[in-house]
Amino acid sequence: MRRLLSPRNLIFALFVTLAVVPFLANKYYVFIANLVLLYMILAVGLNLLIGYAGQLAFANAAMFGIGAYGAGLLQAHFGVPYWLALPSGALIAMVSGTVMALPALRLSGIYLALVTLAFAQFTLWVMSHWDTVTFGAGGFSPPRIDFGPLPLTQPNGMYLLSWLAAAGLIWFAWNAMGSRIGRAFVAMRDGEIAAQALGIDLLRYKALAFALSGFYAGTAGALYGGVLGFVGPEGFDLLQMVLHKAAVVMGGLGSIMGSIIGAVILVVLLEVIREFKATMEIAFGGLLLAFVLFQPRGIVDLLRRKLGWDERLHYKAGPDQTAPSEPTPAATRKPAE
Amino acid sequence: MTATKHGLLAATAGLCVAALLGVAAARADSTGVTQSEIKIGAIGPLSGPIYMWGKLAMNGVEAVFAEVNAQGGIHGRKLVLVREDDDCKPERAIGAIKKLAYDHKVFAVVGGACSNATLAVRPELEAAKIPMVVNSAVADGITNPVAANIFTTQLTASVESRAQLQFAMERGAKNIAIVAQHDAWGMARYTPLLEAFKAKGITPVADEEIQAEPNDATAQILRIKGKGADSIILVTYPKAGAILVRDALKLGFKPLWVGQTAINDMDVFQKQVGLPGALDNFFTITATRYQPTDPEMAEWSKRIKALFPGDELSVFNLNGIGSAQVMVEALKNAGKDLTREAFLQAMGKIKNFKTDVYPGPITCNAPTSHQCNQSPAWIQIQDGKPTVIGVTTLN
Amino acid sequence: MEAGGAGRRRQQVSQMEMFSYLIAAGLTTGALYALVALGLVVVFKATQVVNFAHGEMFMFGGFFAYSFHAMLGVPYVLSLFMAVACAFAIGIVTDRIAFRPLMRSQTLVSVLLAMVGLSFIFKGIARSAWGSSGHHIAFPPLISPEPIMFLGLMVMSQELVVMGAAVVVMVAFALFFKLTRAGKFMQATANNPKAATLVGIRVDRVYMYTFGVGAAVAGAAAVLMAPITLLSPDIGFVLFVKGFAAAVLGGLTSIPGAIAGGIVLGLLEKMAAGYIHTGLEEVSAFVVIMFAMVFLPTGLFGLRGVRRV
Repeated sequence: MRRLLSPRNLIFALFVTLAVVPFLANKYYVFIANLVLLYMILAVGLNLLIGYAGQLAFANAAMFGIGAYGAGLLQAHFGVPYWLALPSGALIAMVSGTVMALPALRLSGIYLALVTLAFAQFTLWVMSHWDTVTFGAGGFSPPRIDFGPLPLTQPNGMYLLSWLAAAGLIWFAWNAMGSRIGRAFVAMRDGEIAAQALGIDLLRYKALAFALSGFYAGTAGALYGGVLGFVGPEGFDLLQMVLHKAAVVMGGLGSIMGSIIGAVILVVLLEVIREFKATMEIAFGGLLLAFVLFQPRGIVDLLRRKLGWDERLHYKAGPDQTAPSEPTPAATRKPAE
Repeated sequence: MTATKHGLLAATAGLCVAALLGVAAARADSTGVTQSEIKIGAIGPLSGPIYMWGKLAMNGVEAVFAEVNAQGGIHGRKLVLVREDDDCKPERAIGAIKKLAYDHKVFAVVGGACSNATLAVRPELEAAKIPMVVNSAVADGITNPVAANIFTTQLTASVESRAQLQFAMERGAKNIAIVAQHDAWGMARYTPLLEAFKAKGITPVADEEIQAEPNDATAQILRIKGKGADSIILVTYPKAGAILVRDALKLGFKPLWVGQTAINDMDVFQKQVGLPGALDNFFTITATRYQPTDPEMAEWSKRIKALFPGDELSVFNLNGIGSAQVMVEALKNAGKDLTREAFLQAMGKIKNFKTDVYPGPITCNAPTSHQCNQSPAWIQIQDGKPTVIGVTTLN
Repeated sequence: MEAGGAGRRRQQVSQMEMFSYLIAAGLTTGALYALVALGLVVVFKATQVVNFAHGEMFMFGGFFAYSFHAMLGVPYVLSLFMAVACAFAIGIVTDRIAFRPLMRSQTLVSVLLAMVGLSFIFKGIARSAWGSSGHHIAFPPLISPEPIMFLGLMVMSQELVVMGAAVVVMVAFALFFKLTRAGKFMQATANNPKAATLVGIRVDRVYMYTFGVGAAVAGAAAVLMAPITLLSPDIGFVLFVKGFAAAVLGGLTSIPGAIAGGIVLGLLEKMAAGYIHTGLEEVSAFVVIMFAMVFLPTGLFGLRGVRRV
């Protein structure tokens, strides 16, 4: 039984289930399932950066937006077909993500968080103010995507693409984190000096971590524009960033499986709390708080104990130096994360 | 020869499409209607900074529905309102509409507060063929070009922008400045405002930006004053408006102020500005004929208080009340065999319908225009009391 | 004709006038940012946590004072103290709910999420308590609202009150740390929590009071500022972001730094808006943070030396 419920099998089962959703469920559930797929990509990508490589960056929503704007604007301004605009959007986000690695060479912990946060807010400002290019704060609708000759409507076509992208990117992350790259990330997270002593090129691996998470967020963004049929700056604000972080933390830092579960939980919860109507923000805040307080290591930790999982690279158990509990004197203390 | 052949082909194809359309139109869609009730969905923000345009408007709709239900409903059917939060975000709004359309299976939708969120759901509404009456969002793109199933009872951005400019010019303004929020809400109005300027062949002497939550507007006022403006067209929320008015007074600058429907409760605005006499030359558009404290609104005030204990009647409620009254009228006119098609036809035929709240009558000129409210009324504080001074007819 | 007209019209505001009014506006705005930054810095310095719910403490302070003063008729000064006490209590609640349970074992990102969650709850509560009308609530002005002449400039008397009060709060703060036992405990704990524990300071309790004090400062700032900012459940976020930027500019751990950071940010915003374009007002804070963090990582008054390992 335990073998049957291994992470691999569960992911497989989840993707099979997701594959049949469009045939069984109404359009509302298809849309929700599509969001689940996108948030999986986002959460896994962000987890590579903060959970594995230990870089507390706050620009994931901005990368998500850059992907959406990149792809959408290429379609809208230059008539680039979607099959080309989608990877282009992802690549633009990847390049922007890599640029973020530059401050990360000098800063870490809360200071890296700050500079990336500022970058995210700046990006948002550009999206809403560079009217001639981005259509300003009013947003824009990218042209409808034609899936011909395949017999697919835009929602179903986008669903299929999202499914393929999520499956591919999760497969890649799973393997990469089990390889030399994953080990280098974790070594870097647990101690940069030690990692350097082991011969890990910090510049290279930091840049790689930022590039990868930028690419993931950008792919999700380029798909998001197609799924919604609308791109506007309000989709990529600080709240969006909080959602990504919440998916990663609720699932479990440093676990691919965790991020997959976290994304499912996040999107489902956001739909469930619609029932709270006017008190939705209290419900959202309460759930966020409850998760962090009562399941601090994420759902994956619970499952790991109950089902005896042994994911190859999980987050350190026990107190770690990222805890704010024992602030040491400023000058000698290694910053958080 | 080939031309004729092509023409023939096209004609045949056209006939087929027309036949198909005819079939589609003939198939009556009475989703959301049972013997005893009509399910109406509502979207808009229920929480977050813009909640008043969603939640409070819905409260107004609810008050109208309760009133109709108390009198036996429409052709024996009770109205049921299902609220969904759009969080003012495209993603959440699309989710909300899909949930209303395919899960709750409502008959029609009322609401729509945030321009971008409502714009984003337009394709979804059209695909689902679900009728919608917009009551708060002003972006023109929601109803222009006309979508067969979307109507608005709110003044749209282009109507208001043209009215603002026309009003300023009629009052003798020569050097007109703009202060606008460049967020989604502001841009929905700012763009048509610039077009209105272009149409009149004039350019604004100053075009300044302000944030939605400013604490100071000295820089904006100094720049505008420096350019010698004699009037300011405001595309701002009340808070930014109040701060601009205050700082202008401080700097001894007394232009003609031209607001729009976001600054819609002059009693409150007067308190927000907090300076006696600062609003002597301040005019703003109202989407409603009365202010909540007017005796004409006493009945509605009582109803809102009864339904939502602790609430006072607010202008945001009035937006909902007006749109719901129009909707109820169309539902009545659509007859006993209620279908979406019948309802849309009835909406399109609404002529000179008087609501309790809107300044002018509501006329939907389907199929040329689904923007049913074309009457921007102007209010000003006179003797310390908000007074409606007239309605602009656009030229 | 248009150009000539513009040239003549430009005389309406002299260069000197423009400059001095922008400075004055920058100082007032800066004082507001500094007051918000102050509370953030106190908490960060002691706990290494950025209180993402700080803006909501500000918002609560303002609404409490409004309830006491405008709704219940409590005299202004008394309602100021009552609001500060309430804000203090909310700070303690924040510590108990979102910080203490997490401080032993958690990662920075968890604590941030907990704070964000709490800020949503606070906003929701405020919306159901004070949000039924949907309008920004006007706080009755303390003194005559008319502008007066001060040092050759027209200013709102309320702005003078704010500036004066800001100085008082800052001085009171410095004295609190220098002179009182509680203040010294906080300083000791911030500098070296292990040593503080060894000499018998109950570090947990100090953290709790630190959150309380941070919130109390926000509350005081809110009561002073409310006639200018107006009150709404969402007022906190923008101020938090600006206060945060000011705190970063000042190095995050330095109280004089926070004040200087606030003033510099306020001036910068007004100068950029006045002389370049008003569209830059919103974004200048973020541009400044990006440059400050990359080129000036210790801030204007940063006390920490090396942050790299």
